[in-house]
Amino acid sequence: MSWLILIIAGLFEVVGVTGIQMITKGKKGSGFAVLGGGFIISFILLSMAMDVLPLGVAYAVWTGIGTVGSALVGMIFYNESTDRWRLLFIALVVVAVVGLRLVSG
Amino acid sequence: MKFQWILVVIASVFEVGWATGLKYANDFTSWTLTVIAIVVSFGLLIKAATILPTSTVYAIFVGLGTIGTVLVDIIFFNAPINVLMLAFIALLLVGVIGLKMVTGEKTSGRMPS
Repeated sequence: MSWLILIIAGLFEVVGVTGIQMITKGKKGSGFAVLGGGFIISFILLSMAMDVLPLGVAYAVWTGIGTVGSALVGMIFYNESTDRWRLLFIALVVVAVVGLRLVSG
Repeated sequence: MKFQWILVVIASVFEVGWATGLKYANDFTSWTLTVIAIVVSFGLLIKAATILPTSTVYAIFVGLGTIGTVLVDIIFFNAPINVLMLAFIALLLVGVIGLKMVTGEKTSGRMPS
């Protein structure tokens, strides 16, 4: 259960990052709302997941999901590059998250 | 070397601070400090990224943040971390930093573009 909460926390980080992108594109009002809401929910869920999981593992997975999620959003919705290096690094993060899940119980 | 790189290091210290707080804060004072650390960390990171190369800033920041949280948990809280966990955390860092570096200055992460 704590792993599911942690993954959802990472996805809300992606929501928060989308807010940053909205702000840089000039949509200040809605951008700050998405930024604040996304990160506040993300931090609450991360804190809940950390009640069970080790700090270093939870933080690393949260960061990894946030970065990979934002890259995937860019690739799918904003036509960002899908070159093989980006796909390889995304795969590394996914393998690492699955591995951490397996060795952390 | 520009002095702004110091901002990245300080931001990372506050990052480790709030992450530790999210796990271990248990009263009003420690939660207040945690929230302050979040604001300071984000503020310094965004400040540094407006001056320095964004992808390098993020790579250093996320590297220090990850290593810092693992060390704090082991040294101060006797966390049950084993060699396999460390290996997978290292692999995850390679993926995150690699993704950042090949993405270049485009935004994907907690960074303004």
